Amino acid sequence: MKSLNLQSMAKCATARVVRLWILGLAVAGALTTLPAATPAAAHGERSQQAFLRMRTLNWYDVKWSKTELNVNDEMELTGKVHVFSGWPQAVARPGESFLNVGEPGPVLIRKSAFVGEVPVPRTFSMDVGKDYEYKIVLKARRQGRYHVHVQINVKDGGPIVGPGQWITIKGDMKDFTNPVTLLEGSTIDLETYGITWTYIYHFFWMAAAAAWILYWFMTKGIIVRYWQVKAGKGRELIGQSEKRIGAITLAAVLLAVLVFYAAANREFPRTLPMQAGLLTGISPIDEPRSTVAVQFKGGSYTVPGRELRIRAKVTNNGKEPIRLGEFTAAGLRFLNPEVFTTRPDFPDYLLADRGLSVSDPNPIAPGETRDLEVIVQDARFDIERLSDLAYDTDSQFGGLLFFFSPSGERQRAEIGGPVIPKFQAGATL
Amino acid sequence: MSASTESGLPAGKTWKSKEEFLGCVILTDWILLVILFAVLLGSFHIHYMLLAGDWDFWIDFKDRRMWPTVTPIVAMCFAAASQSFFWTRFRLPIGATTVVLALLIGEWINRYDNFWGWTFFPINLVFPSALIPMGFWLDIVLMISGSWLVTALLGGLGWGLLFYPINWPVLAQYHQATEIDGVLLTLADLIGFNYVRTGTPEYIRMVERGTLRTFGKDVVPVAAFFSGFISMLVYFLWWNVGKWFSTTKYLEIEEV
Ligand SMILES: [Cu+2]
Repeated sequence: MKSLNLQSMAKCATARVVRLWILGLAVAGALTTLPAATPAAAHGERSQQAFLRMRTLNWYDVKWSKTELNVNDEMELTGKVHVFSGWPQAVARPGESFLNVGEPGPVLIRKSAFVGEVPVPRTFSMDVGKDYEYKIVLKARRQGRYHVHVQINVKDGGPIVGPGQWITIKGDMKDFTNPVTLLEGSTIDLETYGITWTYIYHFFWMAAAAAWILYWFMTKGIIVRYWQVKAGKGRELIGQSEKRIGAITLAAVLLAVLVFYAAANREFPRTLPMQAGLLTGISPIDEPRSTVAVQFKGGSYTVPGRELRIRAKVTNNGKEPIRLGEFTAAGLRFLNPEVFTTRPDFPDYLLADRGLSVSDPNPIAPGETRDLEVIVQDARFDIERLSDLAYDTDSQFGGLLFFFSPSGERQRAEIGGPVIPKFQAGATL
Repeated sequence: MSASTESGLPAGKTWKSKEEFLGCVILTDWILLVILFAVLLGSFHIHYMLLAGDWDFWIDFKDRRMWPTVTPIVAMCFAAASQSFFWTRFRLPIGATTVVLALLIGEWINRYDNFWGWTFFPINLVFPSALIPMGFWLDIVLMISGSWLVTALLGGLGWGLLFYPINWPVLAQYHQATEIDGVLLTLADLIGFNYVRTGTPEYIRMVERGTLRTFGKDVVPVAAFFSGFISMLVYFLWWNVGKWFSTTKYLEIEEV
């Protein structure tokens, strides 16, 4: 087979080929970009059904230690969570849960996480009806303004998103470092660790593959080979000399694999398998039993007024008189302005500081049992789509009531049950 | 490039000269290569993302049992089909190499653009699995043996066995031990913990789950052999899948 005037043909082809390659890469880029990376849950909490959010995890005392940070600064996201006793049957119980952060990508990294005293880089188990305290240490990585939520993922239940706060990060991600000390003593920057070598190793092999493909393509191409195979001369295409090239290449590839493998073992003689497993026996918050007993007596939801009315029988078994100060559900806080005279520091979109009132504002005396009507009314109830309760298959609400005594002691009581929607004439949902 | 006119080609009056004819052949060759590469890249990439998915995405999913079992089996599908096409039609020993290179180019574009560029996951969390030496192995076994049966058996087994060793040179560094708050972790676990993934909780990892526990701590060889055996079966099946589609008959206009 004779080579023919190759340069001139190559020239005529080159420009078009370059353009085609660019087109091809663009197509490839578009195709590979379609299924994008895991989406961030910005306000994803609203899209979850109301009864799920109200009757799974009741978030309270959520605090962000800072809302403005520089790159490399650390902050703490702390709070408590009550696992609702009437956990809906539609959701798997939180036997396997993971303490997570709802943020748009790792703009803050999670340096450590605790539930109670126990570090939870792994999945842990929670019990229904109990309360847990958590702490997440976050380190600012990327500049910008981000909504940062606490979140607990429940296996077979999905992510349950808690309250979110806007966090502003100043500086430049280029300056971010993530120093980690290895057990053998040295310190590395995990942000960049091993990346250069990963590129080198991968691109070395990819270049080798490209060379192999182009070698066979440049000798006789595709169409000519097709004609030859069609003409029954396929055997001539792969003869002894071609097989020899193949054998040498394979030997070189396997040798390279061996050398790389041995080098890795020499450089990292002590390695561990990845660590995984369920953490059980995490103790809930240890505190005296609540001295308030609350019994749900029925409720209604007035659709046009965005008003939830709860009838409850409240018994004060404590030594001090108490007043109802707060109702919280799905991260929203409805406060009784008669009890909360100052506005607590909490994200505005979740804080209805005048959203709660009681039929009888007088304190409940020690030993007294009283039938109360609790009225929860605020636009936030609607904005955060808790009013969608009327659409749910299991239209029961749930949440926590907080009672306060003159000495400032807080008592917590769970409440929940079915509510009847009231549609007034002409009103729409 | 050298081209030959001895194979009974349809040289008619359309061509002014042999040079022009050959130039056209070469240009068409390049166009074919580009199109084939893009098609293989796109289709294999989707197949692989759906089936290998998280195992290939994240450093803390690359365990000793599930990852070396699942990934080669899933990758074998397109490698076998592509070999069937390139070998039976063109006697080109590049089917597997081409398809794994296409996949890796696609994966790297995806990891760099999406995972790092848009979502800022560091590359050491999201780099793909290495596959290229497996492609060489499969192509050259087919080339030297000239038999798809030998390639299925020997090639398929080697395909499964090679996977972990060729990934270890990058993986080893991330299996060094560290500790956070008194919990022992590998760097791979720690990267997964540090760099928050809202939709990827720790419990969805499948780290050494399964029932192949008979051989104690030698987890990888058992997984690799198992993967190799399944790869053989996948090879038989997908060689034929490749064959069904290595035809222009779907493009022909037929009288119905
Ligand atoms: Cu948000």
